[in-house]
Amino acid sequence: MTGMGTDLFERRVVISGVGQSAIGRQLDRSGFQLTIDAILAAVADAGLTVDDIDGLAMFPGGGKANLPGYANGNLYEIQDALRVTTTWRQGIIEGMCLPFYGPAMAVATGQARHVVVWRTVKEGSAARNAGGRPAYGSTNSAAEGPLAWLLPVGALSPVCQLAPYTTRYMHEYGVTREQLAWIPVTQRAHAALNPDAVYRSPLTVDDYLASRMISSPICLYDCDVPADGATAIVVSAAETAADLRAPVGVEAMAGVVDGRPSWEQWEDMGRVGYATAAAMWARTDLRPADVDVAEIYDGFTIEAVWWLEAMGFCGPGEAGAFVEGGKRISLGGELPLNTWGGQLSGGRLHAAFGHTAEAVRQLRGEAGDRQVAGARVAAVTSVGGYEAGAALLTSWPR
Amino acid sequence: MTATPTAPVGIPPAVTEETAPFWEAAAAGRLLVERCVRCEAESFPPYGMCRACRGRDVEHVEITGPGHVYSFTVNYQRWMPGLEVPYALVLVEFAGHPGVRVFGRLRGCPPQEARIGMAVEVGFEPGPGGYAVPSFIAVAAESAVPAEGAAGAERAA
Repeated sequence: MTGMGTDLFERRVVISGVGQSAIGRQLDRSGFQLTIDAILAAVADAGLTVDDIDGLAMFPGGGKANLPGYANGNLYEIQDALRVTTTWRQGIIEGMCLPFYGPAMAVATGQARHVVVWRTVKEGSAARNAGGRPAYGSTNSAAEGPLAWLLPVGALSPVCQLAPYTTRYMHEYGVTREQLAWIPVTQRAHAALNPDAVYRSPLTVDDYLASRMISSPICLYDCDVPADGATAIVVSAAETAADLRAPVGVEAMAGVVDGRPSWEQWEDMGRVGYATAAAMWARTDLRPADVDVAEIYDGFTIEAVWWLEAMGFCGPGEAGAFVEGGKRISLGGELPLNTWGGQLSGGRLHAAFGHTAEAVRQLRGEAGDRQVAGARVAAVTSVGGYEAGAALLTSWPR
Repeated sequence: MTATPTAPVGIPPAVTEETAPFWEAAAAGRLLVERCVRCEAESFPPYGMCRACRGRDVEHVEITGPGHVYSFTVNYQRWMPGLEVPYALVLVEFAGHPGVRVFGRLRGCPPQEARIGMAVEVGFEPGPGGYAVPSFIAVAAESAVPAEGAAGAERAA
């Protein structure tokens, strides 16, 4: 596992802890309290105390949120509540590609030893309060920046932005909804084994095909579930591994933006994530066949399709055939996919925070009834297009 | 029936120094993009900078179409109170105008008849906040009035 050399910065860090608050459609607690719950759980999970934490990061950072229900809390107030001294902090609105990317850079360069990064959503509550999943930017009186070309014409949701990708992909490759249905259907079966998943009742292909269309060809079950919940991740210096309860290695990671950084201007809507995946694979000797479990982004079904193909688990246009029937992507299959249910059933914890938490649990053998036997290499990806990130995490010691 | 709303529901654009020419022209039924004075490459959205050569001297030129649909969706979800659904949203590109792709609604045919590759004319319709917003016109269904969009027959209220 050497790739470009053993001095890759990500080899100097481990993911030491993951923690989550309660997760549900709607929780009657503030985002602030959910955040604190997740941070304390993650620190304890790492085998550390809060006094060991010297770096804080959150995504997104402060500022105006595009969607109602972004509930991280204020970084200064969280730091004040935790009463920690920091040597590094980060709160970013744009540009994040993986939850642990910035923290890993800080730790690898010695700016901090134990960084906690969190993401808290109350989008389930926001949807309830809006009488349905709310419009993009509906808390704003005018559409600023890239939204100026979307909201005024009626592209009022991320669903409207991602739907043309699905249309184009299906057009280019002849993939059908009957095939793509197996992604949400299989992930729902995984969610049934995850007590923290939001939706756990069985879902069939017929249920999928009969569900209401949101923005064609994206139907209800192609959309992730707006949820309330917080996820925190602790990134630590690898040299502290002996002090940690159950660290996980970071084998390789990358986040490349090689197209126009805009959903609607992305040049080739049939191909997303390829440059990121290629850059990630260039940093490791591992190959797609070495991956034991795939926790890949699924804000919408099509995003999982991108990553299956971009990461090389199947060829371009082959994801439909790859997932059809569900066997390959089930527990016990060649590539168990989103074993926690993914965002489609587990809840929209967003930006690969939920995916990272599950990858860590799988690599530790702590995934309960949904454990992939002997999992040693996990793929994690985030979003796609202009926020693309991909990583391989490995069991520890390597 | 087309899905053109009778009372525009939505969120208006925040107009900036860079985008004001686009929205002013839209009100007159004209689709403007930036063209580089130096290398003549066209860019959209407008940034006051050429995306091909990074030149800062740009002018605005009108695209009259027809264009063709790169991809589309038919939206069925009522994202805001009073939003009339369904309606088709199309991403339109123009032969001979690389670098330009514009999102807008589709009218002139039932939304379910939207197809990749279909020809559309440039058009606008009344949008939120009194702005005219891109609303492309299916060519086959509107062949009797092919110049409607370019001529600015439909303007913002």
